Amino acid sequence: MLETLFYGAALIALTATAAALTRANAAHALIYLIVSLLAVAVLFFLLGAPFAAALEIVIYAGAIMVLFVFVIMMLNVGESGRAQEREWLRARHWIVPGILAAALLLELLLALRHNPVATSAMEVDPKRVGLALFGPYVLAVEIASLLLLAALVGAYHLGRHFIVRREDQR
Amino acid sequence: MSELGTVTFGLLLIAAAVGGAAVLTWFERRLLGIWQDRYGPDRLGPLGIGQVVADMLKLLTKDDWVPPFSDRFVFVFAPTAIVVAMLLGFAVVPFAPQLYVLDINIGLLFFLGMTSLAVYSVLLGGLASNNKYALLGGLRSAAQMVSYEVFMGLSLMGVVMLTGSFSLRAIVEAQRDLWYCVPQVLGLFTFLIAGIAESHRLPFDLPEAEHELTAGFHTEYGGMKFAMFMLGEYLGLILISCMITTLFFGGWLGPWLPPLLWFCLKTFALICFFVLLRGAIPRPRYDQLMTLGWKYMLPLTLLNLVLTGALALLLEGQRHV
Amino acid sequence: MLHAQVTGTSEAVDDLFARFGAAALARQATADDTPTLWVAPEQLLEVLAHLKPRFPMLLDLFGIDERHRQHKPTAAGDFTVVYHLLNLAHPDEIRVKVAVADGGSGVPSAAGIWPNANWYERETWDMFGIEFSGHPNLRRILLPPTWEGHPLRKEHPARATEMPPFSLDDDKQAMEQEALRFVPEQWGMARATDDAQFMFLNLGPNHPSVHGVFRIALQLDGEVIVDAVPDIGYHHRGAEKMAERQSWHSFIPYTDRIDYLAGVMNNHAYVLAVEKLAGIEVPERARVIRIMLAELFRICSHLVFYGTFAQDVGQMSPVFYMFADRERLFGIIEAITGGRMHPAWFRIGGVAQDLPRGWQRLVREFIDFLPARLDHYQAMAMDNSILKQRTVGIGSYSVAEALEWGITGPALRAAGMDFDLRRDRPYGGYEQFEFEVPVGHRGDAYDRAAVRVEEIRQSLRIVRQCLDNMPEGPYKSEHHLTTPPPKERTLQDIETLIHHFLHVSWGPVIPAGEASFPIEATKGINNYHLVSDGGTTSYRTRIRTPSFPALQQIPLISRGLMIADLIAIIASIDFVMADVDR
Repeated sequence: MLETLFYGAALIALTATAAALTRANAAHALIYLIVSLLAVAVLFFLLGAPFAAALEIVIYAGAIMVLFVFVIMMLNVGESGRAQEREWLRARHWIVPGILAAALLLELLLALRHNPVATSAMEVDPKRVGLALFGPYVLAVEIASLLLLAALVGAYHLGRHFIVRREDQR
Repeated sequence: MSELGTVTFGLLLIAAAVGGAAVLTWFERRLLGIWQDRYGPDRLGPLGIGQVVADMLKLLTKDDWVPPFSDRFVFVFAPTAIVVAMLLGFAVVPFAPQLYVLDINIGLLFFLGMTSLAVYSVLLGGLASNNKYALLGGLRSAAQMVSYEVFMGLSLMGVVMLTGSFSLRAIVEAQRDLWYCVPQVLGLFTFLIAGIAESHRLPFDLPEAEHELTAGFHTEYGGMKFAMFMLGEYLGLILISCMITTLFFGGWLGPWLPPLLWFCLKTFALICFFVLLRGAIPRPRYDQLMTLGWKYMLPLTLLNLVLTGALALLLEGQRHV
Repeated sequence: MLHAQVTGTSEAVDDLFARFGAAALARQATADDTPTLWVAPEQLLEVLAHLKPRFPMLLDLFGIDERHRQHKPTAAGDFTVVYHLLNLAHPDEIRVKVAVADGGSGVPSAAGIWPNANWYERETWDMFGIEFSGHPNLRRILLPPTWEGHPLRKEHPARATEMPPFSLDDDKQAMEQEALRFVPEQWGMARATDDAQFMFLNLGPNHPSVHGVFRIALQLDGEVIVDAVPDIGYHHRGAEKMAERQSWHSFIPYTDRIDYLAGVMNNHAYVLAVEKLAGIEVPERARVIRIMLAELFRICSHLVFYGTFAQDVGQMSPVFYMFADRERLFGIIEAITGGRMHPAWFRIGGVAQDLPRGWQRLVREFIDFLPARLDHYQAMAMDNSILKQRTVGIGSYSVAEALEWGITGPALRAAGMDFDLRRDRPYGGYEQFEFEVPVGHRGDAYDRAAVRVEEIRQSLRIVRQCLDNMPEGPYKSEHHLTTPPPKERTLQDIETLIHHFLHVSWGPVIPAGEASFPIEATKGINNYHLVSDGGTTSYRTRIRTPSFPALQQIPLISRGLMIADLIAIIASIDFVMADVDR
């Protein structure tokens, strides 16, 4: 039962991702990407990591993708954007990266074959995640927070330029 | 509950939620009408409740028109997202000790996830309409939702800290001695505001803002697709009320009356509150809303988080001593 | 007219004669004693610029087609352009006229002296085809760009039956549609700058917040308004042209529909001007009845304003309460006049009927009831912090700017100008009443609302004084031009019967001449300029309305703000599109 669900979700994730790659219309591609993220969330859940699944939905599907849509709206790409997308979907543009990626995938499969990772049946509940983050990985958390702070300051600096210009106009 | 029982209850719940939302469209107009010295829809059936049926018939039989200039696929997809997401959100609500569809240890996060997915409806509807008013509405909603989601989640972490679990049933059980509306009054306040903003109702209906953007994101929508947006909005209203009941007002807890009735009464009172709020308050400007969110609400939730953390540690310490 | 005013004006005229010499100026006598001077087109701008310090406001600018006029002033040519100037600090007015030959070179534009001349000149060109040289953007304003001819010219048909039947085939519809397309370049707007692409948003003509059919083309950077172009004319009915085909009496119902929220207030402006032209003195009772009705309609109009103002900043409830109050008021108006929004109840020389029995009780109940409601609304709407956030400091202008743009009434008082025609140049009996003139100081959207709210209370005071001191006596004048003429004596002598018959069938014959009468209407100064050629209809009726210049000023006060602010500004202006387009 669980296995069927797992492979079903995996299939959806793969199809949606492929569709997201091949759509010329940015909005359509994004919807597929969201579906793909939701499918991945289901995979996490089935693998016994409900917390990661929830975060996948709340943060990736629910917030980051919203910003993507926001940007698409702001840029207001019309037919010209779609034409450009179609141009990029020609084989000569993606064939080399495609081959390289396929090679990597092959390598990964081979590596997994030689020393299979033990898929633990243990459930990773929110408490464990918290203990792990603020226990052994506390340094990583701190570094990440510093990085985010730097990004925040940078964003403010870039945004200020526009605020100042707007006030000049008044 | 048995598997079969859960499925039956789930279906019943969907019917009840959709029916409740439909009745709410009438109830809101009547309540506002009484408040505003007028009648509201009172012609059809007792107290005018037949209006619900009439409205449904009208919406169902309307021409199902898709504007030729719109992005057809997204245009049709958008209104369904909000209804599906909101209905899924109901799955984790514990209506009574044994009455729920799902009891998972991330129930609260599941709810947050579903509300954040509901945003797409508004966003994609605005984008697909290919109309400038709809686009502006969509842009507003994107900014508003992302901002308010941040502290919507944070405002609930106090509750989670005090309970020590994301499970909604556990949260209700933890309120046996004291409802969280007392120790988490800041959390309640901020969640209330975030909740209104998330369900984009007046005073935070900026994506729609009739007076500015005609009808905002659903300017181009009509008939059943428009009804889906409305249904989603009312489902959202009920869901938020259910959540506030669960998280801050002790869910089904209460003396004498059966638990389910307590839950419904509390939720109903909150719904009335939301309706009356709509009648009372003007709409802030877009940038004022953002300022409120980032400059006042976010610090407030963080303060709440720190205070609750200190409280929790203090209690923990006392227990150890 | 007041004594002080006559001397004040003669001072201005003397000054002009001293400066330009008697050869350059010609006087014209008018029925309203407003000094009227003719100048040559070459000297026009010089004269106007000279007058500006004394008369800071261009109240009105309009044309007259003189070609069919029998009793033409000696200085007149084919067309006349009239500049009506106003001094508010010392209430005083002057009219400057300039003659224009048909097909001639026109007159220089005054838009450089008064910015509000811009729209008035466009309107004059639209209606008469008079060219204004140096005008920045001389294009149609009230009529669609595809219109042929200039309708206020005497040769233009006044009725549809005088024209070939109208039809709209696909080609023509496409052409009309295309003519409506907004081309930013025509208005001097760029489509993009180096780092931003602008969005052009068509707000209106059908939009929930534009209060009728009004269109603003917005140039947006995100939600910030870079520039705005108001577009009017969607509600144009040609009221001024209709006036030339209606008898003096039968035009009264048309006036109700100019500012359709102010009902008899419009009648008041019109009948006062006609009475001035005909020299009719109105009995005391009729004057007080008129004032009472006019003030009741001021309350009506301000209540609508108040409700929609709150509504437009997103507050849902107040408008329902205020409409309920207005409904009570309409009950009283119905009891008195038989009509509600458009009673057309004033008559030349009086009013249509005497007050009904028991009117005192109705009016007293209402004026006792409303103040408590107003206190309630104050707490609910005006004291609400979100409403204040939305409106304080939004769309503000100074007194000087308001004067330059021809802003009058509450909108002018909100900026701090303490001026009210009812108090400062009383008309129609206002000199007998005690009331205060509320004044704001910021000139922003909030003050514009606050001033109107206080005016409701002051109007209640005036109505109470009317109620307590209603004089006895006839409700219309004995003058022979009073319409309809008194019936009582017609069955006793043949002379009166003939007069009655003629007055009822043709309507009164108003003596040739010109007069105008500015009054303090609900939204500002309403002024009917009437030209009689000694006939049963008006030769030219010019309606100056307060809403017209208010819309012209919108771009000035909304640049750099957001769409939501623009809505608050529009809500605070209190205009009626029928009043703008006529």
